[in-house]
Amino acid sequence: MELSDYLPIALMTLLGIGFAVASILVSKLLAPSNPTPEKLAPYECGIVPLQDPVERFPVKFYLVAMLFVIFDVEIIFLFVWAVSYKEFGWAGLGAVVVFMLMLIETLAYVWKRGALEWNVARRQRYRRIVAEGHLEEAA
Amino acid sequence: MTVTVTWYLVLAAALFSMGAAGVLIRRNALIMFMSIELMLNSVNLTFVAVSKHLGLIEGQVAALFVMVIAAAEVTVGLAIIVAIFRFRSSANVDELSELRG
Amino acid sequence: MQGGAWLPIAFEVVLLVGALAVLLVAVVAGRDRRFWGPAAGLAFAGAALAGVLQWREVSTSGAGLFFTAQGVSFAKSPMVVMDGLSAFGAIVLGLVGFVGFLAAWDLVAKVGRRGPELVSLLLLSLAGLHMMMATPNLVVIFLGLETASISFYVVAGFLRRQKGSAESSFKYFLLGSLASALFLYGVALTFAATGSLTLYGGNSIRDFFSSTIVTQPGILLAGMALMLVGIAFKVSAAPFHQWAPDVYQGAPTGAVGFMAATVKIAGFAALARIFGAGLVSQVDTWTPIVAVLAAVSMVVGTVLALVQSDVKRMLAYSGVAHAGYILTAMTAGVAGVPAMWFYVSTYAFMVVGGFAVLSTVSGSDSSKVPLDDLKGLVKRSPEMGWLMTFVVLGMSGMPFFAGFVAKVFSFVTATAVPAPWPANDHGYLWLVVLGVVMSVVGLAFYFRIIGTMFSTPDDQAELQEAGLPVRFAVIVSAVITVAFGIVPWPLIEAVRDAFPI
Repeated sequence: MELSDYLPIALMTLLGIGFAVASILVSKLLAPSNPTPEKLAPYECGIVPLQDPVERFPVKFYLVAMLFVIFDVEIIFLFVWAVSYKEFGWAGLGAVVVFMLMLIETLAYVWKRGALEWNVARRQRYRRIVAEGHLEEAA
Repeated sequence: MTVTVTWYLVLAAALFSMGAAGVLIRRNALIMFMSIELMLNSVNLTFVAVSKHLGLIEGQVAALFVMVIAAAEVTVGLAIIVAIFRFRSSANVDELSELRG
Repeated sequence: MQGGAWLPIAFEVVLLVGALAVLLVAVVAGRDRRFWGPAAGLAFAGAALAGVLQWREVSTSGAGLFFTAQGVSFAKSPMVVMDGLSAFGAIVLGLVGFVGFLAAWDLVAKVGRRGPELVSLLLLSLAGLHMMMATPNLVVIFLGLETASISFYVVAGFLRRQKGSAESSFKYFLLGSLASALFLYGVALTFAATGSLTLYGGNSIRDFFSSTIVTQPGILLAGMALMLVGIAFKVSAAPFHQWAPDVYQGAPTGAVGFMAATVKIAGFAALARIFGAGLVSQVDTWTPIVAVLAAVSMVVGTVLALVQSDVKRMLAYSGVAHAGYILTAMTAGVAGVPAMWFYVSTYAFMVVGGFAVLSTVSGSDSSKVPLDDLKGLVKRSPEMGWLMTFVVLGMSGMPFFAGFVAKVFSFVTATAVPAPWPANDHGYLWLVVLGVVMSVVGLAFYFRIIGTMFSTPDDQAELQEAGLPVRFAVIVSAVITVAFGIVPWPLIEAVRDAFPI
């Protein structure tokens, strides 16, 4: 590929950066600057923020995200097989089936182990209350 | 001027060096972690560029394997980081999950 | 695929099936370890048996390359190799894995319902480690390396509620991934320089070197150096050893022996495979680097071990020094493989045994093992005390113990082949002299451990009797240490055939 082929991309990039910089500069120059604490707050009306907005998510989100990533990416081996399944024949199919079975078994283990439970704490509390016979309270 | 395979190799080497420097210099766990990802992906770039240049397909297959390995590493690495994070201020996280119900 | 084509991958298949079976049994039949424990033990034993079968096959009908893709035009490269190196490695890995698994049995009991996970991680890591030495393909070597490494990151941090364990896991993860990335970049650069990912077989790196004269070796040299650094990281050779003491100290004691021993076996076997066999034509380029690594490892490992107060750290630094002695053998190129095998296979058992004793003394889920924990061990538990004494004497290289034979074998090998730099006919004589000096200096801390064990105990209680599997593991290790020190000939005969093709 010739370097000159990249010229449109380079121009586009320059144009994009230039537009962004220009808009910020123009608004800085033209807009009146008169800050007050209310104006600087993230939300001018509504509840006053109590803590840093960068807060920590419950760990279960990470767990689900990780499981998704791993199972998602394993699937790319299927693409490799899919583009040439005729050449690989039955042996290839067998290999893919074994591969999928392994994935399914790990998924089954993860499931059984309770990693897919969304809200363990609440369910346990509910079960405890049911076991103690105060179902009305829970409802 | 022609864009030869050397350009890609140089770019990959630069990315790899940045990644290695990031791992060695930065002290934020997540950023070190991202640096490792950068290193692996620069290797992928090398594989694919060389593969295309030599007319071989091995390099592209290798890149697929590296992607999967990288995903596995992400999963385990994030799990370790989360485990440490949770341990260090376990009280705090418990509070949060209680409040959110 | 022909009928007999399963034997070359039997080791991996048995372990993978074992790992999946352990998880499946734990899900279906219950988490009681009596259900899935035997499955895991069978898998380890079966893996060792597969190694024996491979060894027989190689010695009767010769080594071979397998799983060459058929009918696919681009790839004529084989994926699996079965030769002396991989078969012997399978036997050693299987046995060390089995003994290491027994040594970790108390830990398995302590982690309770997460036990199946720990055991299947150990099984998977062993499969990955053997993959590193049983393939001529550099990407598959990397795959095996990562399979093992990722499993070990998790094992190191298995007791995530302990500060030490989590930290150890994190350090291992960061530095280990860095090393893996370096190794992988080395693979990519070698691919760029030679146009092949296969060490031998069709269109291989070996073919490339026999048909091409490299005039601009820059990329090739960088690739080789990066691969060497990656492997040096994994076998904890100085100056790439910084992770080892922290990881050994922080990881649960019951599993450290397994991790430390098996990763060394596979790391050195991969070194022999890639550099000894694949890059055999470049031997004059890489042996001087290996010699420098060996020298630095011996000095750093020995000197830093002297000043440690924690036994696990001490053994970690001693492991660095031992990596140096093993690398000394590898300076002879592929001729050093027998000495490497003798050293690494006996040393692996010593490591497993040593950490198994520590796990009975300080608890299999302990992080730190201060030297005082061993105080008066011989009085508190004569069995463990004496066995540990044998193991430590073996590590120190005293005569009549396996470590001595291993060191002599390694030193003799290093002087047997002419060295390229500094050019002479006596090989790396300076390295051997340094090795002897460092062995003598090293005696100081080994005898510090032994002295502590023989001192009078404080008012510490009698040691609780360890479980039968752990005791068995320690006894096997000590017996091997002593037996191959007094009668080394059978093993020496065997390792003479354990060459890569």
